Amino acid sequence: MPESFLLKYISEPDQADLETYLSRGGYAGLRRALSIAPEAVIDEVDKSGLRGRGGAGFPTGRKWRFIPKDPAITRYLVVNADEGEPGTFKDRTLMEGDPHQLIEGIIISSYAIGARHAFIYLRREFSTARDALTGAIAQARSAGYLGRNILRSGYDLEIVLATGAGAYMAGEETALLESLEGRRAMPRLKPPFYPAVKGLYMQPTAVNNVETLCHVTWIFAKGYQWYKAQGTPILISVSGHVARPGVYEVPLATTIRKVIELAGGVRGGRKFKACFPGGSSSAILPEAYLDTPMDYDALPKVDVPGTMLGSAALIVMDETACMVEIIGRTVEFYRDESCGKCTPCREGTVWLGQVFHRMLHGQGRTEDLDLLSGIAKGMTGTCFCPLGESVPPSLNASLRFFRHEYEHHIRTGRCDVREKYAA
Amino acid sequence: MSEQPTVTLTIDGKALSAHKGTTVYQAATRAGIEIPIFCYHDRMPPLGACRMCLVKVEKQPKLQTSCTLEAADGMVVYTDTPEVKAGQEAILEFLLINHPLDCPICDKGGECPLQDQTYKFGPGRSRFVEAKRDFAKPVSLGPALVLDRERCILCWRCVRFGEIIAGDDALKGFERGFSSEINTPFTLPVQSKFIGNTIAICPVGALTAKSYRFISRPWDNRPVQSTCTLCGVGCAVEFDVRGERITRTRAREHPAVNDIWLCDLGFFGHAFVDHTDRLRRPLMRREGGFVETTWDEALSQIASRLGRTSGPRVAMLGGARLTNEDAYVATRFFRAVVGTPHLDHRVDARPQSPDLAVSWGMGTAIADLALADCVVLIGCDITETYPVLWLRMKQATERGATIIAVTPKALEIQRFVRWQFLHRSGQGGAVMLALADAVRGTAPREAPQGIDRTALAAAAKALGSASRPVVMIGRTALDAPDGWQMLAASGEMCRKTGTELNVMRGKGNAFGATAAGLLPDVAPGGRALADAASELRQAWGSLTTEAGMTAPEILDAAVAGGLDVLFVIGADLANDVPDRERWRAARARLPFLVVQDAFLTETAQMADVVLPALVAAEKDGTVTSIEGRVQRVRAAVSGPGDARGDWAILAALAARLGKTIAYSGWEEIFNEMRGLIPGLGIDERLPVRHPPLGKPSEPERPASAAGGFPLILIPGEALFDRGVLTSRSPTIADLAGEPWAMLHPDDAGTIDAADGEPVVITSARGSVAVRARISPVVLPGHVFLPRGYDAAPVNTLIDVNEPVTFVQVRALAPAAPS
Ligand SMILES: Cc1cc2nc3c(=O)[nH]c(=O)nc-3n(C[C@H](O)[C@H](O)[C@H](O)COP(=O)(O)O)c2cc1C
Ligand code: SF4
Ligand code: SF4
Ligand code: SF4
Ligand code: FES
Repeated sequence: MPESFLLKYISEPDQADLETYLSRGGYAGLRRALSIAPEAVIDEVDKSGLRGRGGAGFPTGRKWRFIPKDPAITRYLVVNADEGEPGTFKDRTLMEGDPHQLIEGIIISSYAIGARHAFIYLRREFSTARDALTGAIAQARSAGYLGRNILRSGYDLEIVLATGAGAYMAGEETALLESLEGRRAMPRLKPPFYPAVKGLYMQPTAVNNVETLCHVTWIFAKGYQWYKAQGTPILISVSGHVARPGVYEVPLATTIRKVIELAGGVRGGRKFKACFPGGSSSAILPEAYLDTPMDYDALPKVDVPGTMLGSAALIVMDETACMVEIIGRTVEFYRDESCGKCTPCREGTVWLGQVFHRMLHGQGRTEDLDLLSGIAKGMTGTCFCPLGESVPPSLNASLRFFRHEYEHHIRTGRCDVREKYAA
Repeated sequence: MSEQPTVTLTIDGKALSAHKGTTVYQAATRAGIEIPIFCYHDRMPPLGACRMCLVKVEKQPKLQTSCTLEAADGMVVYTDTPEVKAGQEAILEFLLINHPLDCPICDKGGECPLQDQTYKFGPGRSRFVEAKRDFAKPVSLGPALVLDRERCILCWRCVRFGEIIAGDDALKGFERGFSSEINTPFTLPVQSKFIGNTIAICPVGALTAKSYRFISRPWDNRPVQSTCTLCGVGCAVEFDVRGERITRTRAREHPAVNDIWLCDLGFFGHAFVDHTDRLRRPLMRREGGFVETTWDEALSQIASRLGRTSGPRVAMLGGARLTNEDAYVATRFFRAVVGTPHLDHRVDARPQSPDLAVSWGMGTAIADLALADCVVLIGCDITETYPVLWLRMKQATERGATIIAVTPKALEIQRFVRWQFLHRSGQGGAVMLALADAVRGTAPREAPQGIDRTALAAAAKALGSASRPVVMIGRTALDAPDGWQMLAASGEMCRKTGTELNVMRGKGNAFGATAAGLLPDVAPGGRALADAASELRQAWGSLTTEAGMTAPEILDAAVAGGLDVLFVIGADLANDVPDRERWRAARARLPFLVVQDAFLTETAQMADVVLPALVAAEKDGTVTSIEGRVQRVRAAVSGPGDARGDWAILAALAARLGKTIAYSGWEEIFNEMRGLIPGLGIDERLPVRHPPLGKPSEPERPASAAGGFPLILIPGEALFDRGVLTSRSPTIADLAGEPWAMLHPDDAGTIDAADGEPVVITSARGSVAVRARISPVVLPGHVFLPRGYDAAPVNTLIDVNEPVTFVQVRALAPAAPS
């Protein structure tokens, strides 16, 4: 098991307390960051090679450089703590167990881009995280890490904790900004509404994931050289049919097989069938791909379109899983979470859902296989945002690798997998 | 101006150049290449939601939405490759899977973009075998609007109209994804003055007008191009006519006036035209009642009465509802045939108020409002009086313009107002003086209580540094107890900022009535009577060129027994004059009253002879808007019974009096007017005469409350009311609801009045019963009562000899103790 940093103190009961956090070296990175110029902070993040952990994997330093430097322009940092991607639960773990680690990262990052207000957009259901963050913000504030003239550096920052409105879509950065401004969570048109140019309240805004900002804390606590020497840590949420589901901290590019091993292997000695390597938005992969490294570049290169690291949520399915049911359930998730803005996603997910419902209820037709890929084709490359575009990859992959399961459903009206493993 | 940079791109093999910033869709459309769209609307920024406008761009892996894609140099675009076709077919198929395709019973059938696109770009057949979505239908969204949710394709146009164009957020999206639905916030009736536009831009039959449901088919309608005369904006409209009925009113594009929009009064306010109450025959008083009579007899009777009096003992009031040609012939008739100078269209002006000292109208061009960087509204409730002008101001705010308002009642648009100075009655002058001082750079004198001096200074700074300021003063200011002071300070402020004062006063064709000379002291074209005398004599024969009495003076003269005959043309004096008691007293002493109108108004009911007149939608001619723009009206329908056009009535009467007023039609009148009115021409603007502006004086002390009447009355305007015409346009009457008054919660508490409950407002003069609306949009101690409700006329409460009207408000059913 490699050594962990982000998760190091996560299970320590008093880590949320400022004194404890300080005693373990907390806020030292902030002191160092405040002693150098904001530009130098960005440089260091650049050199660390840090890429966003929210799903898109965009280099964090590069993102910050898009924010204009002009001090007359109000800038904001927005923390994406909406963690809604199925199978993803690393951000919640970080916020509940070590809230100061995030707060420190927020302050350093806000300083880097010259924001005087940072907003945490927290998923509403995360009440434990909310309590932890509320407490940590209050403590940090009274100890002078937040508010006016932080640590006598002349830098001011306030953190506003806002709770979300219960939609997966609100995790997409521009929809998040809409929601934060009090509107319906629907994505904005890019261009012109790139957050770094026209973000929150039309001001330049950096939107960053919780985990991303926790990495920033470590980069400043130990220096980027040290950070890189660790092999670039990444948190992987492992769920599904493994012996020990949970969040694992591994060096980037650890293979899928290795991560499953870390999680105790497939549960009960069953056979591996397929996995979502990067949350339900990434295409499923069967066994042949288990040696693919979990990183930003290797996954998209496999010959299954739509495979990606995404939010690094590895969902493992063993032989007891019926792929028709799994994909049908996934389609339902996207149907229910589609924001309704664009036609193909809004209508296509419903149509797919209806076809799956029929199939799973013994009323599949032979032509439904072509229909499913036809609908998927109509949704591919036509949706407004990645949510709708996330539906076809897994569907297509399942039709390619597990076509026989569909055919069985259509032919017999029954599920052979279920029947086999019932009891 | 420097030349706009252009880009060169290729679409379907055609090399095109386009201004930088143009989208591919725009560039294609301009080159005559059709790309289907649903969500894009050219008055709003692109949204990219429907995904219908897909095109193929070389070197781009995915299809692109052309409505959101900026044209770039060297771009190679295809709009009809098999890939593009497949994409568009997929989108249409998606849109249609849950669309009811009930075209035969849909009002949009025949003019429906979805229908059209399906024929042109659709897949031909659907692979959809599941059950279609089913909604209980239709949903009523208030008095004007109906929503069929099944037909909605969620293009978001209607929602964005409320956000971007009107700023009223009337319609919103609810629920998520496939369950998304358009509705109003809190499912209350639509709160908007512009909702008719959403019907116009809805690309399917999801939003329809209650008043037009199942009434007609596009191909059965005959469009007649005309101008709306229901307020002074003069929006370009098209009346759709089927048989002898106007089935609906739609906007016509006029870039300088309404662009492509109308307000809901324009959309739904013309229904009165074919109301069964329309007067069809002349009426004569006999034994206390009216009897129908012939034109011959009615005109003989009037002529014989006129024959028994002298010109100056005859007067005429009214004119804002006439066409320019009617008004001009009226001027000629009274000055040259009857020989009286006592004519005035300003029937609602307060005696001694600055109303009568200023020229009504806008010097600023309507279109330029959108370019203003600072707009000052002084006692001017823009959305209630000139609604479509707000849409231009909204555009200005989008560009960063600052709006400043000085008003006794918070404006509906207050969230777009940067500085709103909500003042007590009688304190507007003091606010304006302080603002004018601040603009001038002198230390502002003491601001009235409750007015923030820092805000005043900041507002003055914004105004002072504006390069294109627009200043408007409205009736609320001019009629205020300190109206002279407000006018003077406003004038001073304008001088300092080098801008003109727009006097936002006058309904309908008031500007045209002014231009045609329906005023006691000026000739047509705003010229001095003496200067125009010889030309007028040449055109009309002998005439009186004396200065006559103003509207309030005419009433005074009648009260004093100085008049024998009064003509009221297209006005309801009983409700229009500021002080109803005065009108009653005048009528009591008037030997003979002639009323020319479309309905048996309260005033007509007191007449000796009533002549049935046509309304604007039944006439050919021209009208003039608040900005002085002269535009055509065209007869859409021919009018009820024997009703006649106003100028024709007067011409016939002239003949009875042995004088000839002979015109072959409106064109001949118009041509004659052109010789007398400099600048007159179709779609040209007539100038506003600039009013002499007084110097600001010290603030007057407000009058103090008399015993038993603790509250101050603020009369004002409401776009939707229930007057002679509006109460007979069902949608408008529904939108207006019962008469109401606005009270501050503190005052409502004192008298135990509850929101929506009946209250009685009483002054020393009289009382009216209304429903209470309770809101802090008025300050404590004030009651706002809209004019225009004939069932609760404000003028029963007002005594024009008193600068301030004090009232008492009593709850009819006191709110239950909580
Ligand atoms: C449908 C959808 C949902 C998303 N949900 C989340 C989320 O819950 N949390 C998150 O951090 N990023 C989410 N993202 C990614 C964000 O849009 C954005 O890329 C991210 O917050 C940027 O932060 P980072 O650069 O630190 O990764 C989502 C994206 C999409 C398209
Ligand atoms: S793909 Fe379209 S409907 Fe789906 S979530 Fe994105 S914008 Fe909304
Ligand atoms: S009601 Fe009409 S305009 Fe509004 S979203 Fe639906 S289709 Fe579009
Ligand atoms: S703004 Fe005036 S002119 Fe225009 S439609 Fe409305 S009422 Fe008619
Ligand atoms: S018209 Fe382009 S996406 Fe709707």
